[in-house]
Amino acid sequence: MTAKRRSPYPYWFVLPAAVVFTVLFLVPTIASFWFSMTRWDLFQTEFIGWDNYRQFFKEPFLVQGLTNTLIYAVVTSGAKTILGLLLAVLLTSGILWQGFLRSVVFFPVLVSTIGVGITFAALMHPTKGAINIALSYVGIDGPSWLSDPTLALYSVAFIDIWKGVGLATLIYIAGLAAISPEYYEAARIDGATRSQQFWRVTVPLVQPATVTVVTLSLIGGLRSFDIIWATTKGGPGFASDVLASVIYKQYQAGFYGLATAGNVILFLLIAIIILPLTWWFNKREVDL
Amino acid sequence: MTSRQRNTGIIAFLAAFIIFILPFVFTFFMAVKSRQEAALFLFTWPSEWHFWSNLVEVVQARNYMLLLAYFNSTIITVGAVALLVIFGAMVGYVLQRRPSGWNKLIYAGVLMGLMVPPAVVPTIWVLQGLGLFKTIHGMILIQVAYGLAFSVLLYRSFIATIPRDLDEAAIIDGAKPWAIFFKVILPLLKPVTVTLILVQSIAIFNDFTNPLYYLPGRENVTVQLTLFNFQSQFQSQFNLLFMNILLVTIPPLIVFVIFNRQIVAGMTAGAVKG
Amino acid sequence: MTSVKLKSVKKSFGAVDIIKGIDLTIEDGEFCVFVGPSGCGKSTLLRIISGLEEATEGTIEIDGRDVTGEEPSKRGIAMVFQSYALYPHLTVRENVGFGLSLAKLPKDVIRQKVDAAAEALQLTHLLDRKPKALSGGQRQRVAIGRAMVRDPKVFLLDEPLSNLDAALRAQMRIELTDLHRKLGATMIYVTHDQVEAMTMADKIVVLNSGRIEQVGSPMDLYNNPVSPFVAGFIGSPKMNLYDGPVAAAQGCKTYGIRPEHVVLSATNGTWKGSVRHVEHLGADTVVYLVVPEMGEIVVRVSGDFKAAHGDILWASPVAGREFRFN
Ligand SMILES: Nc1ncnc2c1ncn2[C@@H]1O[C@H](COP(=O)(O)OP(=O)(O)OP(=O)(O)O)[C@@H](O)[C@H]1O
Ligand SMILES: [Mg+2]
Repeated sequence: MTAKRRSPYPYWFVLPAAVVFTVLFLVPTIASFWFSMTRWDLFQTEFIGWDNYRQFFKEPFLVQGLTNTLIYAVVTSGAKTILGLLLAVLLTSGILWQGFLRSVVFFPVLVSTIGVGITFAALMHPTKGAINIALSYVGIDGPSWLSDPTLALYSVAFIDIWKGVGLATLIYIAGLAAISPEYYEAARIDGATRSQQFWRVTVPLVQPATVTVVTLSLIGGLRSFDIIWATTKGGPGFASDVLASVIYKQYQAGFYGLATAGNVILFLLIAIIILPLTWWFNKREVDL
Repeated sequence: MTSRQRNTGIIAFLAAFIIFILPFVFTFFMAVKSRQEAALFLFTWPSEWHFWSNLVEVVQARNYMLLLAYFNSTIITVGAVALLVIFGAMVGYVLQRRPSGWNKLIYAGVLMGLMVPPAVVPTIWVLQGLGLFKTIHGMILIQVAYGLAFSVLLYRSFIATIPRDLDEAAIIDGAKPWAIFFKVILPLLKPVTVTLILVQSIAIFNDFTNPLYYLPGRENVTVQLTLFNFQSQFQSQFNLLFMNILLVTIPPLIVFVIFNRQIVAGMTAGAVKG
Repeated sequence: MTSVKLKSVKKSFGAVDIIKGIDLTIEDGEFCVFVGPSGCGKSTLLRIISGLEEATEGTIEIDGRDVTGEEPSKRGIAMVFQSYALYPHLTVRENVGFGLSLAKLPKDVIRQKVDAAAEALQLTHLLDRKPKALSGGQRQRVAIGRAMVRDPKVFLLDEPLSNLDAALRAQMRIELTDLHRKLGATMIYVTHDQVEAMTMADKIVVLNSGRIEQVGSPMDLYNNPVSPFVAGFIGSPKMNLYDGPVAAAQGCKTYGIRPEHVVLSATNGTWKGSVRHVEHLGADTVVYLVVPEMGEIVVRVSGDFKAAHGDILWASPVAGREFRFN
């Protein structure tokens, strides 16, 4: 037997990408487990065991960052999923100016997050902002959207939903397009009402899109940073701090070990939420 | 179109106008107002139009920093997207065409790339070690590392639709592996490449977090960072701040108007893969 | 002298043996056809000859040279694919000249060769089109042109006509045979259409689940099939084959008689049966006769034979045309 000839699909094709990915992504990720257990100023490390983690679960403002992250992710993801589906149904029902409306809903996805944040911070200004002035016309005394500690996180979440719902809608529109019209025809012959059609046909059959929307928006929500930084910087106090903003603040303050511990916690949090979710979705998909 | 569809459309349009369009109108009004009027924050018709003077002033501000930022952002975007196209297509190609035990490893990497948040401080440590911290090419490579997973998946699923017979015809024609890829496969990837270029350019152009961490320093400023810097500097010059927002929003708007279809295809193709 | 020699070639994918030991010599200038049922390994064998697939065992010689470990492009072969595999982004001219330009031949030489091939295949007016703008038959010709310009010693064709409609297929059969005569190159042709095999081949290789069942000229296989498998595969309608008591009565394991070697009579004969179905093909008529002691027998008679459903007829084999397999 002669020597094996070379494959037309050589592995060195993977090499450039693998090098960049390994050096700039994998190595730091793996190193983060070590650095998260140190006191670190980029030049010197001092091993301190689980201290950084302990601090994360003891300091109230750090704990709040953790819970805020979860709230923020669940609220934004839930709203994007539900609104995205409803908008997609609306925007595939053949209404007037449908194509234009799709573009309008989608465009915020493409614009600068910082720009959106600054704009909404102005619109949400407690006394001069357009939102509260509009509310005052109908006799409502609008709150301090971004400076009220109980409200700030949800106001930021609202901006995030405003900016991101277009992507969810788009994915759902693609998902709806994949449902054969025959299902609806069959349901109508069976005498299903519009709402029955929605719950019995649309919702189950659009599930692959739901999986995508939920997964993407949850990951995005858990990692969210720039919109918070552009609007509240985590404030007032730590009221709207999330893990990503805590990490940045600790980094700015020079607590590199602590910042890295925050990173590891964020990584684990995402893994703990997304992996079981994906597994569960996959299992359900097989059942269908 | 039934009258119900027409009426729903009109109502939907009004709602969309208030919710989605008015904020942009507000940005535009703020950008053309005088300094005093903009400071009032009110959503009113500008009493005087200062479009050009505001534009000139914001461009000239801080020694033409906005132009420098556009320059830097463009270099980063073009460089990173070019590498993402080539590297992503090469990996997607081998991944799709050559089943082997290594593929599991590649998929694991892709999954991580999509899911795992980058460990920022250790990344800075690596960049420093390589002399890439605070450099434009360092930033380019970071964007490549973070964008690879998406582009590999996008290319892999598209390459699956290209018949293997073409590779084999090229093999018989005497093509070496790189010739099969660059002369036969890569040209056929054009539709998905256009999509990828659009989606990734917008993402990288709009990126704020990564330059914030990895590219500090005045001379390295990117477009999104100008907004952030000006936000603190222009405390009393909201007209200029909003003019800046306007200028930063215009490139994606133009791209969107021209390439609407391809962007939509890319966003959903990349997403529906699950 | 461009012969192709396979010596105990075997191929397995994982644990599954697909090609189970093939020894075969294809002579210089021969038109050799591989036939066999779907999945029997025809394409795999062709791809082993081309070098796209590596044999697990055995050697391949082309032109007296052992090419077993050789790159496909260095074997002096060209291949025409079932899907044609034309590069969609290149024009016909670029498609045909692709291999030559990879070999860095001078531009005017490429031009000359492509023009000559296009001339021979009547493609000249299509040279600047993309494959998408061609009909199936034109694509087929381009694929052949791409093979021709390589001046191969051996052409390998894998079901090249299967995507064409019946009329075009008949025309292309003749064109390919003409081309073979003109070029005088060795051709190896895979098909599962026995008409193509019979009409085009100098030599037919019948494959059955990874083994050679029989090799011979078309008429050789028709007249002297070595097994019921070959007998059933060559000829149309299929040979009538009987196992069990019918064969036992004839003193063999399998008894066969071709439909065209049975005569019908209204009065006397060997087997008496009733007509189940009649197919009028024009020149010929095919009669399906149900005979109680043997089941069904298919008979081909001339077109003017009169028969109808329910008629009682006698069938008799033509002496010396019966086959007895053991
Ligand atoms: N790469 C492969 N991996 C595993 N099995 C394969 C591979 N290629 C072919 N086979 C198997 O080998 C057998 C022979 O395949 P081959 O394509 O040679 O058949 P064929 O005679 O050309 O059939 P057809 O007339 O349908 O084209 C089939 O059972 C097929 O499933
Ligand atoms: Mg085959």
